[in-house]
Amino acid sequence: MCFKNLPIEFDAQGNATLKPGAANPYSYTETPAPTPIEDDPERMRELFARNGAVRRVDFDPVTRVAGALAFHTVVDLENRQVMETASMATLFRGYEIILKGRDPRDAIFISSRACGVCGGVHATCSALACEMAFGIHPPPMGVVARNMLLGIEYLYDHPIHLSLLAGPDFSEPAIRETNPEIWERAEHTRAPGRATHGYEFMSELMTDLTPLTGKLYLEGLHYTRLAREAYVLIGGKYPHPQTVVPGGVSTTIDASDLNEIMLRVVKYFDYGRKTAAIWDDLADFFYEVNPKYQDIGTRPKSMIEPGQWDDPYAYDGTFKNCDDWGRKRWAPPGVIVDGELVTTSLQMLNAGVEEFVEHAFYEEWTGDGQNQRFPTDPAGNPLSPYHPWNKDTVPKPTATNWKEKYSWSTAPRWDRQAMETGAYSRIWAAAQTGAANFRDSDYMNSTGHSLEIHLPKADLPNTPIEWSIPETWGAFERNRARAYCILYTAAIAYDNLMMAYDLLRKGGPDAKMSTPYKIPKDHQIGVGLWSAGRGYLTHHMEMDKGVIENYQILTPSTWMASPKDPFGNPGPYEEAVLATPLLENYEKPEDFKGIDVLRAIRSFDPCMPCTTHMHTDDRTITREIISCACGAEGPHEH
Amino acid sequence: MRVLVCGVGYRFLRDNAVGVWIIDTLAPQASNGVEFEDLGYHPVGFTQNLQERPPYDRIVFVGAVARERTPGAVTTYRYDHVLPDVTEIQERVADSVTGSISLDNLVIVAEAFKALPEDVWVVEIEPADETWGDGFSPEIEAGLPKIMETVWSLTKP
Repeated sequence: MCFKNLPIEFDAQGNATLKPGAANPYSYTETPAPTPIEDDPERMRELFARNGAVRRVDFDPVTRVAGALAFHTVVDLENRQVMETASMATLFRGYEIILKGRDPRDAIFISSRACGVCGGVHATCSALACEMAFGIHPPPMGVVARNMLLGIEYLYDHPIHLSLLAGPDFSEPAIRETNPEIWERAEHTRAPGRATHGYEFMSELMTDLTPLTGKLYLEGLHYTRLAREAYVLIGGKYPHPQTVVPGGVSTTIDASDLNEIMLRVVKYFDYGRKTAAIWDDLADFFYEVNPKYQDIGTRPKSMIEPGQWDDPYAYDGTFKNCDDWGRKRWAPPGVIVDGELVTTSLQMLNAGVEEFVEHAFYEEWTGDGQNQRFPTDPAGNPLSPYHPWNKDTVPKPTATNWKEKYSWSTAPRWDRQAMETGAYSRIWAAAQTGAANFRDSDYMNSTGHSLEIHLPKADLPNTPIEWSIPETWGAFERNRARAYCILYTAAIAYDNLMMAYDLLRKGGPDAKMSTPYKIPKDHQIGVGLWSAGRGYLTHHMEMDKGVIENYQILTPSTWMASPKDPFGNPGPYEEAVLATPLLENYEKPEDFKGIDVLRAIRSFDPCMPCTTHMHTDDRTITREIISCACGAEGPHEH
Repeated sequence: MRVLVCGVGYRFLRDNAVGVWIIDTLAPQASNGVEFEDLGYHPVGFTQNLQERPPYDRIVFVGAVARERTPGAVTTYRYDHVLPDVTEIQERVADSVTGSISLDNLVIVAEAFKALPEDVWVVEIEPADETWGDGFSPEIEAGLPKIMETVWSLTKP
């Protein structure tokens, strides 16, 4: 029984059904959001009388993240606590509306533009949704080619985050500026991983994380290049591939292409080892300096992970069989609640998803739960009126108000709980799946509490690599897990390369890249259950008469940048920052830089899909709907 | 003399596409030493590509940049190689690797990593309409011959 809050129960055969007796089973009573401190003059007076160090600090925009994110806080600098948080996605994407009425194949190319980092995963997710709706699936080589593309895309994505976006928060200039006492200690602390990464002292490692000039920063840039070079050999272009199509990949591959990819992928074996050692040392050093660093960005260990990298012989594109082919993925699906893996079923993962808009700039579309196109999914599992297949995107820009509406992100919830997702949910679900259920692979195995990775030897000694599920959960562990995911991803990319060589050698129908198809003219639905480098990604599609009727994209940052939900729960960024102790060294409030808050936010690798364009009723796009945290207290119209 | 003419912008965003449209239009006239390139990809990628190629004697960037001038205004200047502070450069790099394409990002990032030659020219066009769709606003449409001539003249020694 994986649901605690949704009105779903399971019969003796394990089939999900609605609990009997409720006329409107998904209805709920909204819990009013707490009154913002600034809107409560009495509380403000009381706080200031008690403590003059309470102040509003807005991060607008949050820099070194992808896209447009603003973050509002009220902090108590004397007690070193965050008292209030609000996460704002400040741009409306509107792809869901742009795609209405279009050929479903257009979704592959249009949705890819939702992001300048992870365009390929959107394209593939669209192709998966099309395949389910069209009743097709690629031949094995088409799946393997897609898997390689995905792996290479992550080998671009993870170094970006670790070296260029999060890394600078742990660099010499940042540490000297915010915690000079830590810098002094770093100068005298030997790095335990020096045999792997080559840095004798922690300070040397931090120096090389320095933006623009540090060797690790520049090395990160170099590795993004290697990945792009490998990607275009199959994808044609990066970040928006031109060869991802329903039923496979519209290009050919020969041994020369595979050799070119291999030459690049193997370089991540040592780079991954080195990166994992660096982030091990950083986390352990900070914990040793002050154990409270474990609380930076902490929140419950609740995560959602649809999985990715399909088994070429198991994936059949059907919803009916998605539990089976999902579990055979190199990254298996999983929903983790408070550290426990509660389901690995893609159908249950899908059935548990809802989106709420009480604090987002959208109209409620269900008529209080009465309007529902799909009471069940294609396998007969109950669906909520708030499920993406039942969702309509109706923008409703209004003044920003922390108690009412303040974000263009909806509030996605699974079983009405806030979930985070990312590279770490991927490796966590894989680790927790356990040996009995994890797919066979020459390069990794799951122990139930860790993931062991066995890569072929490159230049560095071939020591065992193991990522273990951490006891505490916060910003440092997110970054550490992401670093290990370079190795995890490289292992999967290598595994698929070996499969591709084998398929190429054998030839025959399995070595074809794609399958022919016709676009159905009748009513169909499909879903792409996939992931981006930053975690969960689904595309829910409904089509009729050969065109898209409804299209819903749910991205990782929608989950994590989400505002509060109608049950009074904050979104993951909000929750993580609220729990963050302010460990920065400041004497006067004016010196406060907010480094711990930023470390917490950036550890999620925010990616606010970066479009500036909005769709109105007549398919006319109007420009830039931007809300700004600086005017939240006033009559700030969009 | 090796000259690279780079069109910067997003296709299908009306006037924002003028840079790449100019490249598309002029590319068939590429002759010895003059190359045209669509820079609809991120500045770090471009910088890395430049570092691999034989050096150019001149690079010309052309694209729409909104700076609240009269729509259709064409501003041509020789780049002075003056960089903003390190924090801004760092933010520009982060914007670049996460997919933002803009003329300012491109010039700053390429300069920060010392990929540009001494002789760099920028042709900025003030857009009137950057909404979704094909074709240009009347202001840009009317100015296209002049913009083309300006860009073409910069390919000459």
